[in-house]
Amino acid sequence: MWVLGVTERRVMGAFWVLNLVLFLVQVVGIKGAHGIGEHGVRIWPMPLSVSHSHKSLYVGKDFKIMSQGSKYKDASGILKDGFSRFLAVVKGAHVVDGDTSKLDQSRVLQGLNVFISSTKDELQYGIDESYKLLVPSPDKPTYAHLEAQTVYGALHGLQTLSQLCQFNFSSRVIEILMTPWIINDQPRFSFRGLLIDTSRHYQPLPIIKNVIDSMAYAKLNVLHWHIVDTQSFPLEIPSYPKLWDGAYSTSERYTMADAAEIVSYAQKRGINVLAELDVPGHALSWGKGYPSLWPSKDCQEPLDVSNEFTFKVIDGILSDFSKVFKYKFVHLGGDEVNTSCWTLTPHVSKWLKEHSMNESQAYQYFVLQAQKIALLHGYEIVNWEETFNNFGNKLSPKTVVHNWLGGGVAQRVVAAGLRCIVSNQDKWYLDHLDTTWEQFYMNEPLTNITKSEQQKLVIGGEVCMWGETVDASDIQQTIWPRAAAAAERLWTPYDKLAKEAKQVTGRLAHFRCLLNQRGIAAAPLAADTPLTQPGRSAPLEPGSCYLQ
Amino acid sequence: MLLKSQEHLSVLKVIIITALLIIFTSSLSVSTDVDDSLAYIWPLPAQFSSGNDTLSVDPALCLSVSGKGSGLKIVEEAFERYKAIIFEHEVEGVNSHSVFNNFRKRRSRGFDIGTLKIVVHSDNEELQLGVDESYTLLVAKNEGLSIIGEATIEANTVYGALRGLETFSQLCSFDYDTKSVLVYKAPWYIQDKPRFAFRGLLIDTSRHYLPVDVIEQIIESMSYAKLNVLHWHIIDEQSFPLEVPTYPNLWKGAYSKWERYTVEDAHEIVSFAKMRGINVMAEVDVPGHAESWGAGYPNLWPSPSCREPLDVSKNFTFEVISSILSDLRKIFPFELFHLGGDEVNTDCWSSTPHVKKWLRDHKLTAKEAYQYFVLRAQKIAISKNWTPVNWEETFNSFASNLNPRTVVHNWLGGGVCPKAVAKGFRCIYSNQGFWYLDHLDVPWDEVYTAEPLEGISDPSNQELVLGGEVCMWGETADTSDIQQTIWPRAAAAAERLWSRREAISTGNITLTALPRLHYFRCLLNRRGVQAAPVLNKYAREPPIGPGSCYVQ
Repeated sequence: MWVLGVTERRVMGAFWVLNLVLFLVQVVGIKGAHGIGEHGVRIWPMPLSVSHSHKSLYVGKDFKIMSQGSKYKDASGILKDGFSRFLAVVKGAHVVDGDTSKLDQSRVLQGLNVFISSTKDELQYGIDESYKLLVPSPDKPTYAHLEAQTVYGALHGLQTLSQLCQFNFSSRVIEILMTPWIINDQPRFSFRGLLIDTSRHYQPLPIIKNVIDSMAYAKLNVLHWHIVDTQSFPLEIPSYPKLWDGAYSTSERYTMADAAEIVSYAQKRGINVLAELDVPGHALSWGKGYPSLWPSKDCQEPLDVSNEFTFKVIDGILSDFSKVFKYKFVHLGGDEVNTSCWTLTPHVSKWLKEHSMNESQAYQYFVLQAQKIALLHGYEIVNWEETFNNFGNKLSPKTVVHNWLGGGVAQRVVAAGLRCIVSNQDKWYLDHLDTTWEQFYMNEPLTNITKSEQQKLVIGGEVCMWGETVDASDIQQTIWPRAAAAAERLWTPYDKLAKEAKQVTGRLAHFRCLLNQRGIAAAPLAADTPLTQPGRSAPLEPGSCYLQ
Repeated sequence: MLLKSQEHLSVLKVIIITALLIIFTSSLSVSTDVDDSLAYIWPLPAQFSSGNDTLSVDPALCLSVSGKGSGLKIVEEAFERYKAIIFEHEVEGVNSHSVFNNFRKRRSRGFDIGTLKIVVHSDNEELQLGVDESYTLLVAKNEGLSIIGEATIEANTVYGALRGLETFSQLCSFDYDTKSVLVYKAPWYIQDKPRFAFRGLLIDTSRHYLPVDVIEQIIESMSYAKLNVLHWHIIDEQSFPLEVPTYPNLWKGAYSKWERYTVEDAHEIVSFAKMRGINVMAEVDVPGHAESWGAGYPNLWPSPSCREPLDVSKNFTFEVISSILSDLRKIFPFELFHLGGDEVNTDCWSSTPHVKKWLRDHKLTAKEAYQYFVLRAQKIAISKNWTPVNWEETFNSFASNLNPRTVVHNWLGGGVCPKAVAKGFRCIYSNQGFWYLDHLDVPWDEVYTAEPLEGISDPSNQELVLGGEVCMWGETADTSDIQQTIWPRAAAAAERLWSRREAISTGNITLTALPRLHYFRCLLNRRGVQAAPVLNKYAREPPIGPGSCYVQ
């Protein structure tokens, strides 16, 4: 129920002050929980600030959501759906059939009051994702309070609240221990990504949705969809309807309606979809439908730089993209371009000569042309770091450079005044099965970047789940729990991050078991032993989830 | 209304039988395209025929249930589940900007299939061993004059109707060009029933706890392969995750306080399974594999330093067993109950003074005490109106003393069921060489060709083989990898257990079964089940490189 407009923001502000005071009074003598996981704080990723005490509350049978005074009207049901999902995960672990009406009513929480100050529900880069969550103490329960600028901040608050709830095996109800809780939270970086690759293996819609669900649990907020590559072209492009002839099979394809469904599903969970169109390399599959995009039949990559049709197709694709992918960035790839087909193919090599270009100039020409097209469609651009490494000063200032080859790139990028996303493959490539979760955790995007205006240019980071050996059967166990380690690095303020990964082992194991409980096939944390590799190993032997 | 639909039925049946006769006698028309000659239905129906029509299915597909069982919500809920599966991709809507004009034309004519008619003859929804799972399915164009057009499922029970719905869902595929759901090769006439009444999958929640959500995912996926028994190996030496109200300390043997099932959770699992036509057979494995019992009641151990098997010398042991079985009886309505009885090492009995003394007082050897224990547990189970199932060691050691109602569960190797049925016992086949899913080195074709009736020729003896079961022991299987270890190999066994032996035992299975299994594995993936590639050398290995689901 939406109870409209009486309470003003100011009143809410006063409410917070009041509660803070009450809280401080209550917890005098109790140390604030600022450490890593001390006093049993198990929230993942760790919030900006957490205070709690030691009393427990029960969640009422008809726990409901209210939004007194909220300016946000939830026209598209984002909050309502988010709350339903919250209830489903909280109640999903065990049958909740205890009767809270028989419990001491002063200890039963009846609902959650949500106050959202922004009326908008547009999801975009850099939106305010902060929230404040207050779970009262048993002497004054009734409602918990959640305050956020945007509905997406409120969704994060619901995720945090869901992690505070647990099933009580004696009373058969949901309880919240260690109340009162006061949590103030916001992400450290605006871009917290996970890449999936639907070209090396097609991922069916339910699998992609499952990945999106699990991202929301870890407060990741960008699904980088590497749609197309050399191996297959699974997406429908209405402007060039033969492009998806490059799919593996007729049924391993996505319609544009499927893509729109993925974008909308993700948006409802506060997750942006960054679509990638990797050019001019990694594009062999385009030519299945339009062979003239190949330099020649037997030299099929990169896309033919000499053919105007190539850029027409890119324009058509990006035009179609812009109707569905509303994130302000589009990823244009630009990595690993081997130009030998250009020099070997007579008509291309002739074109190069006529335009007085060598092949690396042609590579630059191609990338910049593609950038121009993307800009005309209203996108800002992300490109893999090779473009920066080769012609950084020519890139559009609207370029975000996506690091992958190794460390030290971000500092050069931001020194050049461009923005950067960190994904150094030695630490944040999930297909590197020998990279441990500890390495994922300790990888710091701002390494060697000290000036604050340069730090701001690092918009975040991304873990990459390349699909060569990942299909529907093993994608989730390869992603999790290692992606969660990076998720905390990207969310939690630097000062609150563990200085040594082993300090968070218990809390991460707990989060992994939480994922399992929610039906996500997260793998054991897995020690690096001769028998196991850190990524997606089966459990070595019988044992508790919390210890494996 | 009701009478009328019954009339339709007899007509439907006649038509299907006639059609099948014609087609079977003239043998299946074999197309030059190998793919088209196969029916991509898994497991293969008992009898079927197809044609050359392509029919479209209305995204607003309606359900019309008739017959005595029409009031049961099992069918309606299943219809909603299958509708979500069939219409996974958004179908071209009236308002979308389509370039597919052909489809527009079709739209204006309407869809070929707008209603799925389901006729259920019985209103009895009791799910038990041997429940009638047969059904007939007709999918054909309604030519205007016929009263039996479109899609009709007829079944004696709701459970037969569920199997028919599964088959119907496998006939539907999304066509990417018209953005519609089509049934190819119509008309389809299918008459189907399982070969075996017991088609099981074992899960083991003692070696690794499986969250309720995950167990439900497994049950859901079992229904896709028409498996019908979840053998729940609840407890073992490592952990005791289930609540037993009468002995509330037993689940202190759980791995952690979070890794437990309440009685209500177990009820929920049983009811979830029943809605999908799947029985849950609970196992309480005694006297071995029971060390975790003593975490709550150390008296059940022979001694704190020698903890297994359960102390045979104490009445308390049998009181606890009796109470567990009483509590479980309220949860598990299935008539079979598994008492384990495997791998009993009696050393602790002969080495613990008070047990040793008891053995001497009762003039029992350790081996006789093992028999005494098993038989006493059987009596308890029978007194609670359960039919005991025991692992084959009990049969191998003292067959003649086993209760004649015992179902012998084979696992150690081949040749056991023939011996068991020769002695008049019923048998479940789970030869570990082929049907233990934790044996990662068994490829799909060895799972597929393992035959429960191997070595049994006498028809009356064959009838004593209830079926078979694939076993997913949990030592290295937890939430992260259990589904990819189960599938697709469990599906290979599922076809062995469902389909006619003659239909799947001749010819080159690389041509007749493998492409269909590939297809079924991808179908599982499309439905969100983490089924592993079919052709990897070891089960649950990742795909070896980029490629299509249909060839990996």
